[in-house]
Amino acid sequence: MNRSRVRVFSVVALAAACALSAVPRAGAAQQGAPALWFQGTRLIFAHAVPENGDLAVATSDPGLRKFLDKLGAVLSYAPGQRYVVVTSQDRRTIVFTAGDPSYTVAGVRARAAFAPAPAGADVVLPFFALARALYVDAVPDGDETVLQPRIGALDVRTEGGKTVVTVRAAMPLVASTDGATPDKLRVTFIGQGSALAAERRAPGAQVDDITVAVGGSPRVPTTTLTIAAARGAEYRVVPAETPDAFTVVFEPRRLAYGAPAPATSAPQNAAAGGIPAYGAPPTPPPLVPGAGAAPGAVQREPGTMPSNAPGGTPASGQPAAPAGPAAVTGIDIQQGADDALVVRVALSAPASYEWHRLLDDRWYIDFTNTTLTLPGRDEQPSFGAVRSVRIRQTGSADAPSVRLAFTTTGDQQIDVAPMEDGLEITVRTAAAPADVARTGIGRAGPGAETALTEPQPSAAPGDELWKFTPAPGAANGSRIIVIDPGHGGADNGTAHNGLVEKNLTFDIAKRLRALLVAQGWIVRMTRDTDVDPVSAANLAKMHADGKPNPDDRAYLQTRCDVANLAHARLFISIHVNAAPVESARGTTFYWYKPQDAPFAQALERAVIPLAGTQDDGTQHANFYVIHHTTMPAVLIETAFVTNPGDVALLRQPAFLQSMAQGIANGVKSFAGSPQSSAVSER
Amino acid sequence: MVLVVLFVAAVAASWWWTRRVENGSPGDTIAVYYAKTDGTTLVPWRVSLGPARDRKSVAFYAAAQCVAGPPPGTDAVRFPSGTRVLAVDVDGSTADVNLSRDVASSAEGGFAENAEFKELVWTLTQPSLKISTVRVRVDGARVATLPGGHLELDEPLTRSSF
Repeated sequence: MNRSRVRVFSVVALAAACALSAVPRAGAAQQGAPALWFQGTRLIFAHAVPENGDLAVATSDPGLRKFLDKLGAVLSYAPGQRYVVVTSQDRRTIVFTAGDPSYTVAGVRARAAFAPAPAGADVVLPFFALARALYVDAVPDGDETVLQPRIGALDVRTEGGKTVVTVRAAMPLVASTDGATPDKLRVTFIGQGSALAAERRAPGAQVDDITVAVGGSPRVPTTTLTIAAARGAEYRVVPAETPDAFTVVFEPRRLAYGAPAPATSAPQNAAAGGIPAYGAPPTPPPLVPGAGAAPGAVQREPGTMPSNAPGGTPASGQPAAPAGPAAVTGIDIQQGADDALVVRVALSAPASYEWHRLLDDRWYIDFTNTTLTLPGRDEQPSFGAVRSVRIRQTGSADAPSVRLAFTTTGDQQIDVAPMEDGLEITVRTAAAPADVARTGIGRAGPGAETALTEPQPSAAPGDELWKFTPAPGAANGSRIIVIDPGHGGADNGTAHNGLVEKNLTFDIAKRLRALLVAQGWIVRMTRDTDVDPVSAANLAKMHADGKPNPDDRAYLQTRCDVANLAHARLFISIHVNAAPVESARGTTFYWYKPQDAPFAQALERAVIPLAGTQDDGTQHANFYVIHHTTMPAVLIETAFVTNPGDVALLRQPAFLQSMAQGIANGVKSFAGSPQSSAVSER
Repeated sequence: MVLVVLFVAAVAASWWWTRRVENGSPGDTIAVYYAKTDGTTLVPWRVSLGPARDRKSVAFYAAAQCVAGPPPGTDAVRFPSGTRVLAVDVDGSTADVNLSRDVASSAEGGFAENAEFKELVWTLTQPSLKISTVRVRVDGARVATLPGGHLELDEPLTRSSF
C-alpha cells in the first residue's frame, strides 16, 4: 500500500466514522438520557439529549409523537416560521418560540431550561417543560423515570349561588366516590398523581374546603380529593366536557338541581309604564313560589331564548317547544358627535334583524320574532339628518316583529352595529357612496357579540324588496321549481341516532313536491330515487378542466344543471344538519347570491312558526349548489340529527310534513302563485 | 461624545420602529375568532404573541390558535379533534393554509364546516396581517369540497364568502 492509498483510506475511514457518529440511532442516541416510561411502555426517542435539567427532543421525533398521541395532544409546526403550537386534549395551547426560552401555557408565561432551537425541518423542544404543561411530570422510580399523569388543575367557580368544582388531568379520569356523604364528597382518581396544593379553602362559596391526598406508587399513583360542602349545601356529579375532566356542582340543598327554571309571563316586560334607559337589565322573571324562589336557581344560559311555555325553559337536549320571542326592552335616542343621531335598542335575547333603505329617504329595520315591551313611539329630533323616528309592534301574534323606521333628509350614512345586549344605529350626514348597501341582515342581543352577516347590496328598489326579482338566466314567470334532496346513493350525508340524512331529505322533498304541485308549480327533483345523480358530460368536463376533485364537482354541478337548464324560477336544496356539540339545534337557511337572501328570509318566516324548530336564521355561505345555480336558491338545514330534541322531531312524520308545508308557504309568499295550472314532472 | 451616541441610538430606534410599522407588524396580541354554537355569532378573542413577529410566523400562529379554538369550557364550534396546521404560506395578500386530513370529519352538515372556515378566514384576514384571501389545502391537496361537504374550498375564501 503506497502513501497515497494510505492517505485516501484514512480520509474515507475518518469520513465514515464522522458520518456514523452523526447518524442518530434509536436508543443509542438516548445515552445520558433517562429511560422514560409512560403508561406501561418505554418511550423510544430517535435523539434525546439532556440539557440544563431538561431533555432536548425534536418536534418530529417518534418518541415525542407517540407521547403526544397517547395524550390526545396535537403539535403544529412548519419550517420557515418560529412558532410551535401544541394543543392539549382539553384545548389548552402550549406555545414555544424558536430562539426564546419563555413559553406560554393557556396564555400564562413560563420559562424553560433552554430556548427551543431550529434544527433542519424541526425545532428542538424542552420535553419535560412540554410534558408538565400537559399535566405529566417525571417521577424517579429506582433507576428509571416514570412520566406520571397528574391532576393539573382544580377550578372552583361560584356562579348563580352554585359552586362548580372541576378537576382537569392529562388522561381520561377513572374516579370512585368511596365514603361519600351528602355533605362531603370523597373521590379517588386512580392512575393520577397530583400537582395540586394539599389544601384549599373556598370561603363564601357552597364549598368549605378541599383537601388533596396522594398515594399509590410512581407507576400507579392515586389522588384523593375530599370536598366538604358548606352548611346546607349538597353536591351532584355532572357530565364533564371532556373525559379528562371531572365536574361536581354544589348548591343549596333546598333547591333540586335541574328543577325547572322560573316560569315567565310572556313577554318579559321591563317597563310596563315607561321607557327604561338603555342598558338597564330586563326585569328578572317573576319567581315561582317554592323551588324557583330560592337563590341559586338554575339560570338561563346567555344567548338562549326565554321560554314562554308554562313551567319554564325545557331542559337542554329535551324535545323543546318553539323558542319564544325576544323583546325590545329599551330604546334610547341620543345626539352623538357631529350631530349624529344614535339610537340604541336593548334586546332581552338574540333576535334576527333585517334592514332596508328605500329610495324615498326612508330606512327601516325589522326585528323578527320580537315583541315590543314599550309603547309605540314617534320622535322628531331637532338635530342631525333625521326628520322622524318611529317604533311600532308589527307582524302577527304568531310571528311578531318590531319595526324601527327613520325618515332622513337624503341618502344619509347609517351604520348598524351589534352591541353586547342590543343594537346601535347611527345616522350621520354624509354624501352617500354610489354603491350604498340597501339591505342587510344579522343578529343582535345578549350573546350575539358579532353579527356574521355583512350588509349586502341589493338592486331591488323601494317597497318591492320582498317581491321576486327575475334572475339572469331564469325565465321571468317560469313555472318550474327544482327541489334538491341532499345526498343520495353511496353518499349518505350525515348519520346519527339511527337517522340517515339522505332518507330524511328525500322524505321532505317528496312531501314538498306534492304541496307545490297543488299550488300549480311544475316541480322537478334532482333525484327521485336513492341515487347520487351525476351526468357523464359533467364528469368528462370536470376531468378535463384540470381542477381538483373532478368527481365531487361533477356530482354537485349535475344538481345545479337540473335547475339551470330548466330555467327554473327557484331552487331549494334540502339537508339535515349535524354538529360536534349536542346543544346545536334548529333550522338554518343558507344563501349565497344577493337574490337568494330575500328568498331565504321568506322561507325563514314561513318555516319556523310551522316546524317549531329553533330559528338559527339566514346565513351567507359559499355552498356549491346555491353558488352555481342562476336563480334564487336556498339550502335549508332543517334540523340536527345530533340534538335529542331535533331528533325527536325528525322521527315524526308530522314534523316532516310541517317542514314541507312551511317551505311551500315560503315559496308562496316569495314568488306568489304560478300563472296557470301546472303538471308534475319528474 | 455622549450626545453623538444618543443621537445615533435615537436614529436607530426610529429606523427600527419605522420598519416595524411599514412591515405591518402586529402588536403584542392578535385576534382569533371563534363561532358560538348558535352558528350565527362570531366572537374575537385576543391571544398574546411571542417574540416572533415576522408575517409568516404570525400567520401560522394565528391559524394554529384558531384551529386549537378558545379555552376549555367556551361555547364554540371547534375544528375536529386532531386537526393540525401543516403550513401557512403567505404570498402578497393571500394565505395558503394546509390543514391535516382530520379536518375532513367536519363536513357533516353545513353547520360545522361553515363555522370553522369562517373562523379561519376571519382570523387570517384581520387587518394587521394584511391578508385578504385564504386558500385551503387538505393534506397538501386542493379539494373542491370536503367529502360530503357543501363549502367550496377550491375557491379563494374571503370574509365576503360567508
